[in-house]
Amino acid sequence: MHKITKIATYGIIIFVILSFNFFLPRIMPGDPFAFLTGDPSTDMPVVLDAGIKAKLLSYYGLDKPLSMQYYDYIANILHGDLGWSIYYNAPVWDVLRGSLKWTLLLVGTSTVIYMASGIMLGAVSAWKKGKRVDAGLLTFILSLSSFPSFFLGLLFIILFGVDLGLFPISGARTPFMDYSTSFEEIIDILHHLLLPAATLVIAHIGGIYLLTRNSMLNVLGEDYILTARAKGLREGYIMRRHALKNALLPISTMIALIAGFMITGTILVETVFAYPGVGRLLYEAVLVRDYPLLQGAFMIITLLIIAANLAADMIYVYLDPRVKHK
Amino acid sequence: MIEDTIAFLKGYKNSVIGLVGLGILIFFVVVAIFAPYIAPYDPHEMYKPVRHPNSDHLLGTNHIGQDILSELIYGTRVSLFIAFISSIIASYIGTSLGLIAGYFEKFGFFFMRIVDGFLAIPRLPLIIVIAAFMRPSIWNLIFIFVFFGWPFTARIIRSEVLSLRNRPYVDAVRMLGAGNFYILCRHILPNVIPLVVVQLIMEASHVVLAEASLSFLGLGDPTTKSWGMILHYAFEYPTIFISDLWKWWMLPAGLCITFTILSLTFIGYALEDLVNPRLRREIL
Repeated sequence: MHKITKIATYGIIIFVILSFNFFLPRIMPGDPFAFLTGDPSTDMPVVLDAGIKAKLLSYYGLDKPLSMQYYDYIANILHGDLGWSIYYNAPVWDVLRGSLKWTLLLVGTSTVIYMASGIMLGAVSAWKKGKRVDAGLLTFILSLSSFPSFFLGLLFIILFGVDLGLFPISGARTPFMDYSTSFEEIIDILHHLLLPAATLVIAHIGGIYLLTRNSMLNVLGEDYILTARAKGLREGYIMRRHALKNALLPISTMIALIAGFMITGTILVETVFAYPGVGRLLYEAVLVRDYPLLQGAFMIITLLIIAANLAADMIYVYLDPRVKHK
Repeated sequence: MIEDTIAFLKGYKNSVIGLVGLGILIFFVVVAIFAPYIAPYDPHEMYKPVRHPNSDHLLGTNHIGQDILSELIYGTRVSLFIAFISSIIASYIGTSLGLIAGYFEKFGFFFMRIVDGFLAIPRLPLIIVIAAFMRPSIWNLIFIFVFFGWPFTARIIRSEVLSLRNRPYVDAVRMLGAGNFYILCRHILPNVIPLVVVQLIMEASHVVLAEASLSFLGLGDPTTKSWGMILHYAFEYPTIFISDLWKWWMLPAGLCITFTILSLTFIGYALEDLVNPRLRREIL
């Protein structure tokens, strides 16, 4: 029952998102050919006569009735065809595929660092509850995560990129670079990855830190911790094997939310660092009103988040066998 | 009720974090209320563009010559207004629906499926897409934030009501012949109010962040002066990174956003510490 409701919920969400995705851009102001005619306020607006415009509309299928457009849209998605990007003049999937790997690299790296450091800090903080270490960590991390990610990114660019010149300030790799070895290429990519990943981790770390801390505090009040202490086990052993192991359980249900945060966070971070991922593409697509690309980027981001949700559900069942019997 | 409030205030007084947060928030609220008296210029008035800080313009002027300090002061109004209006409306809707969904089981089941759906939808990407299609105005932004804000409160309030409604005192009142509406308003609502306040503060800090993010992406209301908008125009300015401009154009606006979020986070944390007794439980 539990599983069926879950799957049904995700199914409905995907359907709602797809429909949303379809209708929203069509109600937006501006029209998809604005980029061809230019901004009327500039010196040289290009005039697009009605005949050419009608031809273009029919070429892109935008003159059909809405229901037909909707039918085509769903059918095409099922065939793996996301349409043709008006701005890039290439299939949307090709544009997205190029950027998807960068987003996955950025989100993947940040999530791993984020989980590891956040859980560790939260556990230490709870263990030292009421002591100076806890108060210090709590204040420091709450302050740190009050920085909006885009502002933190801007500060990092100015400080580490421009002033100190330690890191490149934009892109995912050095343009027009000939790598002599693949090792050199990996170093270059990591070099570009570090600042955006650090921004993403620092801007979001408060969530998992507080979660771990609260969950640990709850567990530390349980009788079995008292028992472990009474048995004379070493403190470090109790913390890792008795407390943290159980404290992680409720955290695993939040992994989906966390992954959603990270994927969402990349939109801003990628924009600030001009990192060529899906988030940056979404932003560009909004600016140039590229309907198909906007739909594609939005859909990919949504599917990534829903996939993370599903994965979290599965992990939870694996971690806590009690769920199966409910 | 009055004794409870006094005990609560006494507890809050002991929280350093809570007091710091409250102090910062009061500062921003005062600035927002008295903006016209504090700001040296009208933030829409144009002077010489891109002036460095001087005795006339303490934080210089922006790309079209507006006084940055005045922009910042008026920006406080916009951020706080949007944050509090949206979080108050979202809390009101979320609490009402959460109360009903927690009290009436059948309605609650279907209702929670809708809430789950809402929560699974990624908020920011959708808001970006919607903000791009709606004419960006303050009221549209508030509508979007309310639309996506209420499910969080509803969920938390519902789970609290579920545990409250089967308490002996509620049964006792019911036996005395009290109606559902009466029980909800007089005996359950007062018990969830502290949670609602925590939730409202947290929601306000989310809205400050979301509004700043949207404005930074250029999707805010172009006619109002918000901190995110200042950052947006600064970020678009070609020589922002290779000159000193960022020091007075970007940094103050960014710090204002950060400190507002910080104050709300601190207050929210201090309140939660008081309200949620599980976290208060003494550890050996």
